[in-house]
Amino acid sequence: MNKTWIHFFNLADYEEEEQWLREKHNDGWKLVKFLPPCFYTFESCTPEDVIYRVDYKNSRQTADYMQMVQDFGWEFFTQCVGWLYFRKPAADVDTEADGELFSDGESRVEMVQRIARTRLIPLTIIFFSCIIPNLMNAINGVMGVYSYIFTDFFGVMFIIYVYMIIYNGIKLTKIRNRYRS
Amino acid sequence: MDEKIRRIYVPMTESGFYILFCLQTPQHGYGISQQVRKLTGGAVTLGAGTMYGTLSKMEKDGLIAFYNEEEKRKLYQLTGLGREVLELEIKRIERLYKNSKGESIDE
Repeated sequence: MNKTWIHFFNLADYEEEEQWLREKHNDGWKLVKFLPPCFYTFESCTPEDVIYRVDYKNSRQTADYMQMVQDFGWEFFTQCVGWLYFRKPAADVDTEADGELFSDGESRVEMVQRIARTRLIPLTIIFFSCIIPNLMNAINGVMGVYSYIFTDFFGVMFIIYVYMIIYNGIKLTKIRNRYRS
Repeated sequence: MDEKIRRIYVPMTESGFYILFCLQTPQHGYGISQQVRKLTGGAVTLGAGTMYGTLSKMEKDGLIAFYNEEEKRKLYQLTGLGREVLELEIKRIERLYKNSKGESIDE
């Protein structure tokens, strides 16, 4: 049986997402696929403690990367806009590092940088080059009789973008500082 | 060895050191992790993401080179530059070890 949950995680909340997916599996639901921005499709399964990990790749992942991660005991089961989802039963893990994709601070920081570079920076560019100019035009009535609709729309977009940029910017910086040696 | 390589790799991370050390004979990522586990009695475990990232970087910087491919697994081997970096690092570790035992190094 399949069931879809709606849960929104910000760009920088991937560690919380991993934890949430682990809890779901403990409750007997394993993730099948994720559809942005917030739709998680699960399949019912035997409850089991399974560790979930995500990696973020800004380029196409190569066959040798997938092979290597699988050699390390990870099951790859879905991907979505750069995020790759892996899982491994906790019973197969004998050291703490065995339950991690990244075993040192440096490689964790690099993942944060990949996310910032290919997701947060484009978001900021769209904000300044599209959201702000359009909002200004709408406020100034340049968009004709329906200007108020555009004002509302770009006003909401403005708030969402400001929130996302500030929240993710601060949180990614925090994660980076935590893992920076 | 150019200044950039020296700045990035000397001193290097523990993962970096073990990966270079193991690549004195050609191996793939998972083989390296198994060897490191054995060498260190399980004290050092390398994650798949860390392994892949380090191998890609070292290949780009010319410390290791592609050797062969076996069933989608890429095998790498140390290059001349990689050996130079490894030797520098081993000397540094020996110095640390001697100093930690209270010995000083003669000039």
